[in-house]
Amino acid sequence: MTQSTSLPRLTAAALGVSALLWAFFVWRAPIDAMQGPIQKILYIHVPCVVGAYLGFFLTAGASGVYLWRRGERADRFAAAAAEVGVLFCTLVLLTGPIWAKGTWGRWWTWDLRLTLTLLLYLIYVSYLLLRSFTEGSERAARFSAVYAVVGVLLIPLNYWAIDLAGGRTVHPENLGRGSLGAGMGAPFALGMLTAVAAFAHLLVRRLEVGALRAERERLDAEALRREA
Amino acid sequence: MSALLAILWKDLVSEWRSRDRLVAMGVFALLVVIVLYLAAPPGGGPEARAHVPGLLWVAWSFAGVLGLNRAFASELENEALSVLALAPVDRGFVFLGKALASFVLLLLVQAASALAFALAFDLDLRPVAGRLAGVAALGAAGLCTLGTLFSAIAVRTQYREVMLPLLLLPLLVPVLLGAVRATQALLLEGTLPWPALQLLLVTDGVFAIVSFLCFEVVLDE
Repeated sequence: MTQSTSLPRLTAAALGVSALLWAFFVWRAPIDAMQGPIQKILYIHVPCVVGAYLGFFLTAGASGVYLWRRGERADRFAAAAAEVGVLFCTLVLLTGPIWAKGTWGRWWTWDLRLTLTLLLYLIYVSYLLLRSFTEGSERAARFSAVYAVVGVLLIPLNYWAIDLAGGRTVHPENLGRGSLGAGMGAPFALGMLTAVAAFAHLLVRRLEVGALRAERERLDAEALRREA
Repeated sequence: MSALLAILWKDLVSEWRSRDRLVAMGVFALLVVIVLYLAAPPGGGPEARAHVPGLLWVAWSFAGVLGLNRAFASELENEALSVLALAPVDRGFVFLGKALASFVLLLLVQAASALAFALAFDLDLRPVAGRLAGVAALGAAGLCTLGTLFSAIAVRTQYREVMLPLLLLPLLVPVLLGAVRATQALLLEGTLPWPALQLLLVTDGVFAIVSFLCFEVVLDE
């Protein structure tokens, strides 16, 4: 049990340290000359994208492992990663429009990346609904694993389709290539680190909950057998 | 291969005897046409006609989902689904048989509702009928392959009628976008754009292969 109690402490400590540093550097970062203070939302928005996509790809990977090996742990990992990923994606879809309203003058546009992220969000919300509406843990695991794998396989097709439909790309380009002003690199980098630490911490805690639930189910089944 | 034909024949014969899916899909598609006509700008002028391609696919995809919801419902009676899973044939062919049966039914409904659209919005579909049928069939193929896979999943969950559209619609985007673009160009300009057809063909292929392979796992009880 030592491993299971020390790991959350480790991730919590990492999260605390990086969050403090991140907040300090965001506070110190210069105000953007063109966009004004609203640009600082991006220090939250961009790192949350990392958390969201991390969650979705880990879910698909764990689902693939589940379909291959049929291990219960892979399934619990997939469920935990999906829940944490949806949480981060919700933050992405909340912070993005606030920034867009201030900069583009509108809350939403049917841009390639915006549409793709919204679709991926809906796919993973459906994934969580499928899990909760399926009775029997083995069946829920199998169905949701198939859905997660299909969902990720179809991302390139969605990308192609939205591109064809002429989604104007107004979303800023990826970071790097010297697009950041002086003093803006550190808060972004620390934001990414904080997002990864927060993701890891939430994932570890959610895995604990999953393990406890599985343990309770096992004890319930055992008690039923003893009664019978 | 004979398993595919046997399943297809069984589904079509049982549908011919009861006709419940076909009637339900047809009436539903007609109701959607009426609702969409009432919701469109009054008078049915060129402004309303510009939206017909998108509206057609709204009616077709809703009717398709309605039909797919019933594709496995009949198999739940008397544990027929378990017998299908136990049959000593490749489950991929069971999948193809079920998907083909849904595809044939959807094509019939598409033809009838296209006629209803033409009457309601005063369109002359005759010059493009053949090519429109081709685009409709390509869209229906994508809808029915992935739809059959998810129907086999949704039918064994709670709230199954709700679950299928939730699972299916976010993943149908490539098919719907390709089909709507192709139909738009066809009805408004009389041409078939190759990029949209390419997208439809590739998506249909990917959907068919993925569903064929995953069906094995879904039936595994």
